[in-house]
Amino acid sequence: MSILLVSTCENKLSEREFIDPISRIIEHNHKILHHTKCTSSSILDFDKIIICGTSLKDTSYIKHLDNFQKLLYDFEGPILGICSGMHIVCSIFGSKITENREIGMFEVEVLHQNSLCKKSFQAYNIHNYSVNNLENFTVLAKTNKTPQIVKHNNKNIFGISFHPEVRNENILSNFLLL
Amino acid sequence: MKLGVLFSGGKDSYLALQYASEENEIICLLTLESKKEDSWMFHTPAIEWTKLQAEAMGLNHLTKETSGIKEEELDDLKIIIESAVSKYSIEGIVTGALASVYQSTRIQKICNELNLWCFNPLWQMPQSVLLQELISNNVDSIITGVAAEPFDDSWLGRSINSSSIVDLLALESSHRINPAGEGGEIESFVVNAPLFTKSISVVKSQKHYSNFSGRLEIQEAFLE
Repeated sequence: MSILLVSTCENKLSEREFIDPISRIIEHNHKILHHTKCTSSSILDFDKIIICGTSLKDTSYIKHLDNFQKLLYDFEGPILGICSGMHIVCSIFGSKITENREIGMFEVEVLHQNSLCKKSFQAYNIHNYSVNNLENFTVLAKTNKTPQIVKHNNKNIFGISFHPEVRNENILSNFLLL
Repeated sequence: MKLGVLFSGGKDSYLALQYASEENEIICLLTLESKKEDSWMFHTPAIEWTKLQAEAMGLNHLTKETSGIKEEELDDLKIIIESAVSKYSIEGIVTGALASVYQSTRIQKICNELNLWCFNPLWQMPQSVLLQELISNNVDSIITGVAAEPFDDSWLGRSINSSSIVDLLALESSHRINPAGEGGEIESFVVNAPLFTKSISVVKSQKHYSNFSGRLEIQEAFLE
C-alpha cells in the first residue's frame, strides 16, 4: 500500500509540526508532497491520501480550494482530511468553511458506529475554522460545538477536525486499515 | 519570516531555533526567568546564562522575570512576546514544545490572540529521535539538572553525547525515564552549536544534589 501525505503548510517549518508526526506514525510506504506539487495524474500512484493540517494562522489553503476540487474530486481511494484537510475535503462536496475556534483538549462524543473510533475520547484541537452545510456527509463524532469526524455519504472520504497524531494515533492506524 | 524564539538555553529550544533558522530569519530570543524552580511552563536551571548564548549567536535577547505561579507565568509570557513584536516586529514565535499539550495549548492561544504565527518544530518527536537529532545537528549541551531516580550527581555537568545517550536509553528501559527528559528528568544547557560563533566555556560550577534531585549552578563562564 502506498500513501500520499499532502502538506497544506505555507511555511515549510510547520511541516515539522503537522506532517512529520504523521509520517512517523505511518509505517507503510508513503510520500510527502506539498499540495501545489500534486497533479491529478501523480496522485493516481497512491492508494490513500491524507491531507494534513497546518498552523493556526495559516489560511493559505483556502485560496486553493478550486485546485483541490480538480485534484481530488475523482480520486477513488480513501481520503482523510485533518483540520485544514477536513475543510478542504468538505468544501469539495459543497460544505462551507466557517469561523469556529477550539484550542486545547476537548471531549469528543461518538454519534455513530464507525471504522475510525468506537468510544468517546479526548482530542487535541487547534483551529479557528470549521465546516457547516454538511449535507453530503454524516457527522460521526462531535464536541459540543463542532463536528469532529465526518464521512462522505457515498465515498470513503473522512474529515477530522482534531489532530489524531496527538494522543489518538489509533485513528490514523484505523484509517490505514480501510 | 521574522521570528522570535522562546529560549530557555536548553537543547530543545536551541534545536527548535536551528530548524527555524533554515528558512526563516531569527530576530530575537525571549527568555522568562522563573523565580520558582519547578515552573509549569519554563525550564529553569542555568537560565541566567542564556545571555551568553544570545551573545554567542549574535541575537537580540529579551528577558523577563516571572513569578513561577502557574497562570501568572502566562501573563508574563504574553507581555514579553508583545514587547518582541513592538521592538523587533516579529511575525511569529518558535518554541521547543515537544509533547506537553498544556504548554502548547497556552502558547498557541497567546500567539492566536496576538495574531502571530506559532511554530513548534519538535512537536511529537520521540525522545530517542530528539537525542539523535542533537548528535546529527552537532548540538553540544551539558546536563544542568536531574530529577528522577536513579540519577546521581555524576550526571550534573555531563555532556549529552553518544556515550551518555546510550546510558540515557538504558535508563529508559530500566527505570522508565524519558531519555531526553520530557518529564523533567533532566535539564540541559547548550554550550556550543552550529549557530554559535563562539563556544561557551564553563570554568566554575557547583553541584547541588540530594536524593535523586540536583542542579548544576554555573558560577563562571565565558565565550572562547
